[in-house]
Amino acid sequence: MKVLVLLSAGRHPASGRAGPVPVELAAVRLGASLGGADLAGLHAGPDADAVADALGHGLARLHLQPLAPDADPLGALEAAVRRLAPDLVLAGNRGQGGEDAGLLPYALAARLGRPIVADAVALASDGDGLVAEQALGRGARRRVELALPAVVTVHPSAPPPLPFAFGRRRSGTIERLPAFAADAPAPAAPFEERPYRKRPKLIAKAAAGASAADRLKAATEAASGGGRVLVAPDPAEAAAEILAHLRAIGVLKR
Amino acid sequence: MTPAPTLALLVLILAALAVAQALRRARLWRRGRPAHVDWLAGLKALPRRYLHDVHDVVARDPYAARMHAIAAGGLITASVLGVFGLVPALGHSPVYGALLALAFAAALAGGVMVGRRRSPVKPARLSGGRFRLVPPALTAYAGGGLLVGIAILAGPGFAALGWLGVALAAAGAAVLVYLLGDGPMRHVFAGALHLAAHPRSDRFEGGRETALHPVDLAAPQKLGAETPADFAWNRLLGFDACIQCGRCEVACPAFAAGQPLNPKKLIQDLVGSLAPGGAPYAGSPYPNARPVAGVGGPELPIVGLGAMVHPDTIWSCTTCRACVEECPMMIEHVDAIVDLRRFQTMELGAVPEKAVQPLLDLRQAEEPGGRALAARGDFAAGLALPKIQDRPAEARPAEVLLWLGEGAYDLRYGRTLRALVRLLGAAQVDFAVLGAEERDCGDLARRLGDEATFQDLARANIATLSRHRFGRILTADPHALHVIRNEYPAFGGHLEVVHHSSFLDELVAGGRLAVGDLGAALPGAVTYHDPCYLGRYNGETEAPRRLLDRLGLERREMARSGKRSMCCGGGGGAPVADIEGERRIPDLRMGQASETGAAIVAVACPTCTAMLEGVTGARPEVRDIAELLLAAVEAAPPAAAPARQRQPEPVA
Amino acid sequence: MSAPRRLRRDPRGEKAATAVTGGRRPRFDLGAEARGAAATGPSGRPRRDPRGEADRQRIPGGARLRMDRAHRGGASGPGQVVAEASAPAQRLRTIAAPAFLVGAVIETSAGRPTPHARQVLGAARLLADGHPELGEGAVVAFTVADAGDLGPVGADRVLPLGDLITGDYDPEGLAAVLATAAETLGLRHLVFAETADGGDLARRVAARLGEGLFAGAESLTATTVTRAARARRTERRAAPPRLLTLAADAVAPHAGPLHEARSLAAADAGLGHAPEVTRGIRAARRIAADPAAVSLAEAEFVVSAGNGISDFAAFRDLVAALGATPGASRVVCDAGLMPRSAQVGASGTVLDAACYFALGIAGAPQHLQGVAGCEHVVAVNTDLHAAMIERAGLAIVADAQAVMPALLAALAAEQAAAGRDREAAE
Ligand SMILES: Cc1cc2nc3c(=O)[nH]c(=O)nc-3n(C[C@H](O)[C@H](O)[C@H](O)COP(=O)(O)OP(=O)(O)OC[C@H]3O[C@@H](n4cnc5c(N)ncnc54)[C@H](O)[C@@H]3O)c2cc1C
Ligand code: SF4
Ligand code: SF4
Repeated sequence: MKVLVLLSAGRHPASGRAGPVPVELAAVRLGASLGGADLAGLHAGPDADAVADALGHGLARLHLQPLAPDADPLGALEAAVRRLAPDLVLAGNRGQGGEDAGLLPYALAARLGRPIVADAVALASDGDGLVAEQALGRGARRRVELALPAVVTVHPSAPPPLPFAFGRRRSGTIERLPAFAADAPAPAAPFEERPYRKRPKLIAKAAAGASAADRLKAATEAASGGGRVLVAPDPAEAAAEILAHLRAIGVLKR
Repeated sequence: MTPAPTLALLVLILAALAVAQALRRARLWRRGRPAHVDWLAGLKALPRRYLHDVHDVVARDPYAARMHAIAAGGLITASVLGVFGLVPALGHSPVYGALLALAFAAALAGGVMVGRRRSPVKPARLSGGRFRLVPPALTAYAGGGLLVGIAILAGPGFAALGWLGVALAAAGAAVLVYLLGDGPMRHVFAGALHLAAHPRSDRFEGGRETALHPVDLAAPQKLGAETPADFAWNRLLGFDACIQCGRCEVACPAFAAGQPLNPKKLIQDLVGSLAPGGAPYAGSPYPNARPVAGVGGPELPIVGLGAMVHPDTIWSCTTCRACVEECPMMIEHVDAIVDLRRFQTMELGAVPEKAVQPLLDLRQAEEPGGRALAARGDFAAGLALPKIQDRPAEARPAEVLLWLGEGAYDLRYGRTLRALVRLLGAAQVDFAVLGAEERDCGDLARRLGDEATFQDLARANIATLSRHRFGRILTADPHALHVIRNEYPAFGGHLEVVHHSSFLDELVAGGRLAVGDLGAALPGAVTYHDPCYLGRYNGETEAPRRLLDRLGLERREMARSGKRSMCCGGGGGAPVADIEGERRIPDLRMGQASETGAAIVAVACPTCTAMLEGVTGARPEVRDIAELLLAAVEAAPPAAAPARQRQPEPVA
Repeated sequence: MSAPRRLRRDPRGEKAATAVTGGRRPRFDLGAEARGAAATGPSGRPRRDPRGEADRQRIPGGARLRMDRAHRGGASGPGQVVAEASAPAQRLRTIAAPAFLVGAVIETSAGRPTPHARQVLGAARLLADGHPELGEGAVVAFTVADAGDLGPVGADRVLPLGDLITGDYDPEGLAAVLATAAETLGLRHLVFAETADGGDLARRVAARLGEGLFAGAESLTATTVTRAARARRTERRAAPPRLLTLAADAVAPHAGPLHEARSLAAADAGLGHAPEVTRGIRAARRIAADPAAVSLAEAEFVVSAGNGISDFAAFRDLVAALGATPGASRVVCDAGLMPRSAQVGASGTVLDAACYFALGIAGAPQHLQGVAGCEHVVAVNTDLHAAMIERAGLAIVADAQAVMPALLAALAAEQAAAGRDREAAE
């Protein structure tokens, strides 16, 4: 099976340094897990500096689709995928360092007319198709059978990337694809950008099915939970307090 | 023909066979990579290296020292004397006979001593197997020679006795030759050559050449060592010098903790990989050894389940150098382990699971926790941390640049660093920090075999440091100290680094800090734990003790201290590799601290602090020397403040 | 989640559900503050309003003044919890001739909208009501499975789509249906939950329509919506575009008057029949999470034992009874009392759990590193000065050995009571 992993130029969340995106490196590992897959990476951009480290994480070959720095990569990626004709395109479910919206694989799949399945944590080939195990959060999974060729995005709960091996990065190859006449960048909706600020979250998270009384308790308990200390309570009292608190924050569901 | 020239011939044959064995062995060593060796200097230095460095180590075990001096000295003197039996006039000289008898008697005594070491019970650290042949072979050879000497002394009538002696000596010699090629006696020529061609020529005569050697990342050959042939030839020679004395095994903290590492066995596995089918190993195994196929060869992989050494073995090492410090044959175990790790990490990406993320973060965030570099100063919590970038261009260079290190991100260690910053304030030291420009020093990456990431970090740090003006670098982290002081020079960074223990000692000695007596405030004794990277790697064991002694505390020594101290378990990436054993190294070390009855273990390293603080249960308190000194400074009577002129500046 | 998944119909359950939602339950006004919350200063930082804060911290109901000090910095609104202790008869608000429509895609669980779906409706309401200059907007809720009565949570119209898709899991069909509806109804906005399936659906619709998507909105008003970008280093703010997904717990559910939740015929949305779709997904099967087996890194609720625990049988029973995932400190794993894979901390697993319940754990820095991301921590420890006690939202200074059986007993008693209630009901 021919597998192509989309690699974007990511940024480390703390340092802001350019580098490959961890979930895309996890995609490389999933691709390699398909046994005997002909595995390569694809990056559209002015150069491969930011993603070349992926060669140290289990990728032997990387295609660079040259593209002007600010151009919309969609058309370039579409052209490159059509040229390379992989059976399976793998991508991270979100980028890291840019828009980070996770829309691109869908747009690409739509342009290519391929089906897409999101958030895979395991892959297996199955006759002419593919079985993807999808993460639904908190350990729930869905096994999805889909036809190939397809696009699959990978979830961060997938097995972590293969460790970085400098020697492999050194021996990996980067192949330049023919230049692509880029689309004019899509007129982006205007937005304002400023340093990130964490916002307070809603706090009452009583389970959906909880009784009204429980939820009232939830609201007040959660509210008063800013560091309550009970010293030497009666065990039964302690137990009641704990259970009420666990219900209030919505983790005790029975 | 009389017995004397026959014995002489026997000795010559023995010598010739020894040379033949050495040449045969040398053919194996030559399968290794080339190495630059200054033969002339090495051979010239050989006697001094032997008498000074080797002897210093051997003498730590007085019985072994006496045994070796008598056995080796007797054997060599007697054999050389024996060759003179070719001179016809000497064949009947009673003086010659007496001398010969005396020398062989000494050798015989040595042989008996060698035997006594393993009987009635063999100590665990010593090997059995072919080592059991050494005493009989030695005694036979020496005893035979003794008989020849006596026969010469006694006169012509005793030729029969002489012949008996020759026969006995011949039998002994045959076994010795056998043991020279593939057995304990190989250490004779391999050891001598290793001393001359040692890969770290600066470690002798008081030198401490402890920096890891850089890898040329652009060279086409593979990175690190996969097979025996990937080691430099003089490294292979070094492995062959091992006499299996087991001193390294006794010193190794990972061995003591029941992790699957035994430096002695590891060296023997390297020997066995180079020359499969050799003498079977008969020493202690790796504790809780993980099964491996045991297949090896000069061009076959050393590490792997299908090879000779399990990966857990090389990842158990804390790079504490205790084995190197104890090895009488001057073998460099840590270099070998790091070379093996380099191949695993850089060519295979086969690092321990928990090490993957820190190494990745070191690449992408220049910090093993993936934290923001700017957050390194957060520990200060209100204390002023002047940044070197904020100094006006015309200001004089900062007296010291404070290198905060990894410990700055650790909650517990923040207390130590705050104490240090307060002390700098109290002593009015003009200091500054790099702020967000301080990257990780690269120690972790390098010890885990990721030389590429280390070199990136080293170059970036050197470039940063060269942009700023300061006198010395001050750090509380011996790992950073070692890397910057000893390993950056290979990349063009020549920087003077001082450890906070020495620096604080200077401040007190120079009267810049007035200390009170802590004896009353802190009843109970204190014991000092030497960080490996300060004591063994850098030879700094005195300053911290001097400083503690100034505080009026009763100081007790642990059984292992100074350059022979035991590791806390925190070095070499061992905590991230986290190889399972039976015990934890810090628990063992804390046990040794408790044995002194001290109430406080004084530490001088963020890693030691973290490891020892992680010990649960009743135990001495862990305090960094900076914290103790701050307490003493705060306890100082105000009148005792030094009379030096100082600006009225609030402390911190 | 189960929105795109059709549940088996349960007429009795449905009836019961309607009965409940129609009643006058006390209701939390989680949204009361959100609308006026944009009180930001010129710097973009919320302005502090100490008097208002005190008012908000005051918990109504009861004669005693109770302050909710957890809301220390709570000027920005959505963090508020205000309880209406006595619910007045609800006013019904009918929007007969909406000036525009705002769509909301509803995920359900057991016949009710999930909490996140209620937030999506809350967001849709904000967008529908926030433009008086355009007139009144109406909220159209798109449902797949039965969602109960959506009037109280702010839906003006309900358009069930269940009959237009195939099988249990048909995101391709559903995306086509929603894209068609968005066009034919001329939706001004369409809001999804940023969940695994909601997020997937939203991106499918965006790709189909060839439009942008404002993914994972973390705050929302009628005029401004924000999201994290550049690896959470920046925040982007824009006017709300047509398609957006909402992060969990970012917007309060609707808490105003009742809306009519009138059914809309599929044909009116141009969906007389399902649109043509080529499907690449051949089959799908959901595998539920087993808390006992789920990996620690993904677990939602972790109950963990430290060196202070000696009765591991009771500990395991407790973990099972609480439906949690077991964890342990290193000392416990070292001793072989729990498997190595259960170790929480720097050299174990770093958790992403919503709640961490630590029994007999001191809270060494290396251990706390593993729970740094846990929103809620509950600790039982005999030592008042243990770091874990300090870290905990609810800390019990007591012998864990005594608390564990008490917890088990309380859970058993509750279960028995629930059983009796059920019997009595039948
Ligand atoms: C490099 C390194 C990495 C490490 N990584 C980890 C890691 O990943 N994870 C980890 O957990 N640790 C880690 N540690 C170890 C850590 O430092 C602590 O030693 C360990 O977390 C302590 O575990 P504990 O709290 O269970 O035990 P203790 O420190 O022994 O604490 C037991 C606690 O239980 C309380 N207690 C006792 N009896 C009772 C009772 N009957 N009822 C209630 N409470 C009681 C005590 O008051 C005490 O607070 C690491 C250490 C190092 C040096
Ligand atoms: S390596 Fe050195 S210390 Fe260890 S057994 Fe061999 S000779 Fe002795
Ligand atoms: S360096 Fe230390 S841990 Fe490593 S083998 Fe030598 S003694 Fe053992």
